[in-house]
Parts: sequence; structure tokens; C-alpha cells
Amino acid sequence: MLLCDHYITARSLDEAFDAMAAHAGNYRLVAGATDTLPWAREGRAGDVHVPALIDISTIAELNRREVADGRAHIGAATPIQRFLDDAALTHAMPAAPHCAVWFADDQIRALATVGGNIVNASPAADVTPCLIAHDAVVELAARRDGRIVRRTEKLASFIRGPGKTGLAADEILIGVTCDALAGYGGTFEKVGHRRSLVISVVCLTVLMKLDAAGRVIEDVRLAIAGVRPIPCRIDAVETALRGAHLSMAAIEAAAAMPLDLVQSRSRQDYRRDVTRGFLARGLVAAAKRAGADPQVFENREAAYA
Amino acid sequence: MPDLHLQATVNGRKVSRMVQPHQRLLDVLRDDLNLTGNKEGCGAGECGTCSVFVNGVLMKSCLMPAAKAQGATVETIESLAKTGELSVLQKAFHKAGASQCGYCIPGMVMAATAALRANPFADREEIKERLGGNICRCTGYQKIFDAVEMARDVNNGALSMAAFEEINDGEGKYIGRNIRRIDAPSKVSGALRYAGDMVLPGMLHVQVLRSPHPHARIVSIDTSEAEAMEGVEGVISCADVPGEDGFGVFVHDQPIMARGKVRYVGEAIAAVAAEDLLTARKALAAIKTVYDILPAVFDAEEALRPGAPVIHDYAPDNITTHIPIRVGDVEKGFAEADLVIEEHYTTQAIEHAYLEPEAGVAYVDHDGVVTIHSPDQNITHHRHMLSKIIAKPISKVRFIMSPVGGGFGGKEDMIYQGMLALLAMKTRRPVRLVFTREESIATTAKRHPSKTTLRMGMTRGGRITAVSFKMVSDGGAYGLSTEGVMRKAAILGAGPYDIPNLRMDTIGVYTNNTPSGAFRSFGALQSQFATESHLDLFAERLGLDPFEIRRINMMRDGGRTHTKQALKSVSLARVLDAAERGCGWEPGVPNERGATRSDLGRAGVRPAVTLGARFGETAAQKAGKQEAAE
Repeated sequence: MLLCDHYITARSLDEAFDAMAAHAGNYRLVAGATDTLPWAREGRAGDVHVPALIDISTIAELNRREVADGRAHIGAATPIQRFLDDAALTHAMPAAPHCAVWFADDQIRALATVGGNIVNASPAADVTPCLIAHDAVVELAARRDGRIVRRTEKLASFIRGPGKTGLAADEILIGVTCDALAGYGGTFEKVGHRRSLVISVVCLTVLMKLDAAGRVIEDVRLAIAGVRPIPCRIDAVETALRGAHLSMAAIEAAAAMPLDLVQSRSRQDYRRDVTRGFLARGLVAAAKRAGADPQVFENREAAYA
Repeated sequence: MPDLHLQATVNGRKVSRMVQPHQRLLDVLRDDLNLTGNKEGCGAGECGTCSVFVNGVLMKSCLMPAAKAQGATVETIESLAKTGELSVLQKAFHKAGASQCGYCIPGMVMAATAALRANPFADREEIKERLGGNICRCTGYQKIFDAVEMARDVNNGALSMAAFEEINDGEGKYIGRNIRRIDAPSKVSGALRYAGDMVLPGMLHVQVLRSPHPHARIVSIDTSEAEAMEGVEGVISCADVPGEDGFGVFVHDQPIMARGKVRYVGEAIAAVAAEDLLTARKALAAIKTVYDILPAVFDAEEALRPGAPVIHDYAPDNITTHIPIRVGDVEKGFAEADLVIEEHYTTQAIEHAYLEPEAGVAYVDHDGVVTIHSPDQNITHHRHMLSKIIAKPISKVRFIMSPVGGGFGGKEDMIYQGMLALLAMKTRRPVRLVFTREESIATTAKRHPSKTTLRMGMTRGGRITAVSFKMVSDGGAYGLSTEGVMRKAAILGAGPYDIPNLRMDTIGVYTNNTPSGAFRSFGALQSQFATESHLDLFAERLGLDPFEIRRINMMRDGGRTHTKQALKSVSLARVLDAAERGCGWEPGVPNERGATRSDLGRAGVRPAVTLGARFGETAAQKAGKQEAAE
């Protein structure tokens, strides 16, 4: 049971910093709260008393979304559901709808936030690898000596380990800025114990850009999670495919590359098998959505559907 | 504790309440506004019984701090049938038989309402996807999806409202007729009150102190500090039991609260009744218990070894029940066999996971009758046991079976009703206990984990000549239904087969694990898993069809089982025929296949899970758009 003496809904960054100062060391920031409430239960943290909960989910700046000049900005309090229903966002982030549709369920997506998924730093986070594939940068703010101080850091390095990030004690995650990848084909592969409300055993984000003829891979981005402490890009496969002619053989060779990704505590062989399958299926799906020349696959892609 | 002034519109009415800042929206709706239609099934956002609309968006109210609903418009299940007339979806759930225990149904109806609001033309796959956050334990979902499709079609004019009418051609006959469930309207509307929804004037809230140790002697229990707390109206431990303490389905080996020692993690030690839940929880923390830790045993076979820790003094060998059955001459049977196979089979503990966690309300009525409402699957037996435990004549003990939000055998044990009775007697006030989901999983009976050694002999032609079957089951810390489960395992474990020579032993063993108890199929699942798997092994090794091997050995009309039961008629031949047709079985040995799988991809075979049904335009959507264009 989560107990608190004060629930403070901050209307602005300053109000949030005021509350953080007033309850120094005795508060917890919440946005969607969908992970905080289940955390304070038997078997996990048990009954937890947090003197002040500071709700930052309605601060306007944390809800700002914008796509401009080849970059997309997503406020930290943006609910995951926006990846499905914000047309500008889905245009700039072609894998994000496929990621979001596997995320928890329709109801939790309406509450759970992008920022929450990042700062929780779960090895099985779904949104984080998707953002890493977009070379996302986190934007952070703190109030020091009465002045709001901002900084940025690459998301890939901001996640330090399971449950650990580079967020300083006095900082708030404001949002992320990432590459807008309109025109890419995107997909998201995920496996867990059931369809909804499931923690990824393996999840893979795939983004691919082809030339006008749909035959040459101009860019490809792959990010994996669920198999190691920190989500990461699969650089070796990206390098092998970037600039290559698109073919079933190239995809199969890429999927079969020896990779040293899996560091999970359990089911390592299974995760390696799934990763190979996901690479093949994901690359085929992303290529098709990127406008691949249909002759490339000669109907062999059905094996990967 | 500072209060929070919450103002919102709930089901069309302005609501202004001082609530505690830690309360969740679900707490405010259920406890402060008495809107108990939506339930709490897990408290962790997994099950969806608490789904409500907040500003038109469906949310899990157990995951939402109440403060987030400040100024919001909230709609609960009670809003859908406000005038008393069920909504189209509720009527469809009624007609389709989509509600069984009913506990998930308020959330399910809300999720279905949200799905059809999001896409009035959603096809079945999209409906499945959008209902993914709501769990049902009874139905297998098919009738729920049928209902949503029916409502969609009525909304879109493709189906007449007449489809919801009862087909009343039976003239009082029910079997073989498509009859609507008479309890469905109360379930689909959220009107039905389960025990955890009951509120009585002056009611106290109960919490239970539980053992953190699997096996320990209780040196002392000091409840004085808890009893002195303001708001605490009663604290009980085993010392408060006035009569002969002990319950169980067969052997009465379990005290209402631990007496002398604890035997599993989660065993009740003491219970508190207080003015509110928080005070009761604080009082638990103030009870001081001193334990002397004892060696524990967690494996049934280890518990059988000499020198193993003894769980109950009356059973120094840790055996709860041993059922031996002997038929014919087993050694002679093995000698006649062309092939003998011996294998080991294990099964694990399984949680029933009904959507309704255990809950109960108790009070002493005007005539001094101790009255208990709970979703109790065995009230008559419990009434008799409790009358001895609380030393009252049977006429002064009353059990009322509240609606059972799923049982599956898991609610056959009187594990908390005794504490409620004692607290009602001690405080002279109504008391209520509602388990958390974690408490339900950690402390209530499971399916027996089992280890089976099976040796079977067979002729080349596929006729069983002998069976030697030994199953050791982990009954956990108390007897509960173990004796019955072992009997059923022994009666049903060898399968519906005519076996001339049989040696069968099923043994239930005490350990320091969570007690095992009743779970539907009652021992047959574990034992038949071994026997049926074994027959498939024989089919492989002898080159026989697995259906054929069963037909060769099956019981026939006029047969006699190993427990000497005469069988007038046996339906197994028909069952095998139907199963063979239904699964699209290709005749032959089970470990060889043809080039193609004709059993897959047929009508009625479900494909693997995919998501993203909402990304495609469904046939119904296209039709809808076309219609709109015309």
C-alpha cells in the first residue's frame, strides 16, 4: 500500500521545484504512477510511506510534442498512447505504433508516460529501445541557486543499468528529442508470456530506409531490449546492411551473424534463437513498409510473416 | 493526515469529498461513494475489474491516484444502466452467456464499451486486442467476444434487438435449450454484491498477521500494544478460541490461527479488527511474536525419509494419506509383456487465480447467531466445524454463501471464516476481511504438486498387461482436501482402461509448503498426465496409433474398474471418435508425420497471437464506410 501525507499536483516546473525543495529528501515524483502503485505492494516494497508525492504529469512543458527540422520532441509526460493516435508522431516514428500496441494494454497506455518508461530503466523497457533507435537525447532540468539549469544527455548512455539512470537527485526529466525518420519502414517485435500486460523476454525495434527503387538499404537501425541490463543498438548488423542491396539472402545472412548480445540471467539460448528470428522477420517487415521492390523477396518472405 | 478535497463528476452527479491523499480512484469510488460495481481483483493493474472511464478514456482505477481525478468526469459500470434498462452491450453479455462468476464482468463490459466507442466496426481480432487488459478466469473469453460482436452488429443495424430475446420454446424445459442465465443482469450491471462489496453499519476492518517462517515454534505472541491502540477494537490469537480448535475437509489438523507452531509461510498468527484498514495494518506491526526457528522440509520425497522434520506430531512419518489398490498379479503381468516402460512424471503447484480474492463479513445477530457471509464452497461442513470450534450449538452458527467470484475448489477450505466469527464475537460488531491478491496467492490452497513413477507393460499388439503406479504428492502444511485428492488420483489415475494387473499407491505428504487442496479434477489431472503420456510413449515405441492404443485398452459397457465399480455404459469410444475428428488427427504413429500438416490452419484452429489488428481496415469498417457514402 502506498501511503503519503501530501499529493501535490505541480502546474509548472517552478511549482514542482518548489515542492521538491519544501519536501527535500521526502518526496517521490510521479507521472502516470502505473509502476509506482504496484511497486508499493506485498512481495515488492510492501507498505511504503512517502511523505510527499509530486505529480508532474500536467506540467505543460512535459506535455509538449513537436516535429520540426528533422527532429521530434516528446515531452516526458506524454502518455504512451500518443504513439498510436498522434499522426505527426507516428509519421516521424514509424516503429513507435508497433511498439505501443504491444505496451501493457489500452488502459495503462493512457496513463503511463514516455518519461516514466525511461527513468524506470527496466532492462525490458519497450519504449526506450525504440527511442534509442532514433538516437534520442534526454533533456533534464534542475533548479540550482534559484535558476533553472538544463542539460542534455544521450539516452543510450543515460540508462546506466537496471533501475539506474544519470538523473541527478534534483533533476526532472523534461523530455526527449530524437531523429524524425519519416519515410522509414518501422516495426517492433516482442515476445512474452501472453499478448497484453506482458514484460518483454525479447523486444526488437527495426527501422529501415530504402532508395527510391526500393532495392538499396540506405539506412537501418536496430535496437534490442529484454536480453541484457541496458537496451542497445545492434551496430554490427546495422553496419553490415547499411548500403547493401536488399535481398532475402542479405537479410538471412544479417540475422545469422554471430552476436554477443544476450546477458540475461535465464533462458539465454532461447533468447538467442528469438533474436535471430526477430531480426529476419523484423527486417522483412520494415523493408516492406519502407517500399521494398516486391520482386526482391520472390514470395520467400512468407516464411517470416 | 492532511486531507485532499476532491471534486469531480461521477456518473453525472457532482461529487465533493474530503479524501485521504494516498487513496486511489478505486478506493474513493468503492469506499467513499459506495459504487461497488467495479471490483478490485489485483490492485496492480493486471486484471481490469476496476476499469472506469475518466474524461471518456478507460483507465484502471487501481492504478490511478484519486488526486488525478480532480475536476474529471468519471463513469463507472453503474452509469451504463442508470435508468434500469441494460445497455446494448449488457444485453448482449446477458444473451451470449458471457458472464459466469461475474467478477470480471463489470470491467469487461466497460472495456467492451470502450472498444466499440473507439471503433464501432471492430472485428473479432481487434476486439480481442482492445480487451487485452481485462482478465476472465471462467469463460475462456469466447462468449465474451461473441457478446461484443453481437452488440456491435445490433449497434450497426446488422442485427435486430430481437436477437437479445430469450428463445422461449421449451415450455418449462431447460436441458438442451438456449436459456439466458437468470443471474446475468445483476452481474453485467454491477448490481450484484460480493462479500467484499458488503458494508454494514458500524463495520470493522480485519487484517491478519501471518507467519514469515515456514516452520517455527511460537515462543510468545504479545498483542498488548496493538490492543491499546486507538481505533483497534479487537485482537485475537489461538488463545481466543473457546472450543475444540481444528478444521479440514478430512482431518481437522489446522487451527483457526497457529497454535504452538507455524508450519508454512503465510499461516495466520493473529487478527485485528479496527475502525479502518490503515489502523488495522498499523496494529499488525505492533504485535510482537517471538519464534524459535525449526528445520523445515519443502520436498515431499525428502519429507518421507527417516529423520526428516516432523510437521504434525500425530503423523511422525509425515504421511497424510496413503491409498493402496491391488488388482491381479503385477509381476506375472510384467512377465507377459513384450515391452515394459518406466518413467517419472512431475507436476507443479498451481494457483486457482479466481478473480475474486477471498473476502467475508461476519456479525452476531439479535438472537446471538454468529453469521458469516463469504464465497464459501462448503458452507454446511464449515458450519458444523465452526460450531465445535467456537463452542456454540449448531443453531447459533449460520453460514451464508455470498456470490462466488470464481472458486475452482480454492474456496472449499475454512481458512478465514473462523477468525471473522471470533472477532465478531469479541467486538460485538460486524467485521469484514478482504484479502489482497498477494495474500490470496501466498496463503490459500494450491493444486498438489506431484511426482509419479509409472511402470507399464504391454504386448506388441498394444494390450496393457500390468501397471505399477506410485504418486507422491506434496500436501503442504495441512491436510485440507489431500485425502480426497489422493483417493480420486487412485480411482482415476490409471485412466478409463481395462488393466488386468495393477499396483497403485497414491501418497499425500506433509511438508512446510503452502497447503495443497481441492482444484477442479481433484487429483485426476496429475495422475492421468502420467498415464496418458505413457500411452503415447508406447504408441511411439510399438509403432501404433495413439487413438488405437486407447481403443484397444478402453473400458467397455459392462466393464469393471480396478475399484470394482461395475460400468453399465461407457462413452469412451464416442469421446475418442469425437476427439480424433475434432483435432484433425492424421492416423499413424505420433512421432512421424507426412510432408504437410493437415491438422493446422483449419477452421477452428487458432493462429499464433499477433497484434496490430487496429492498424488494418476491417471488412466491417469498409462496409460501414461504404454505407455512409451511399
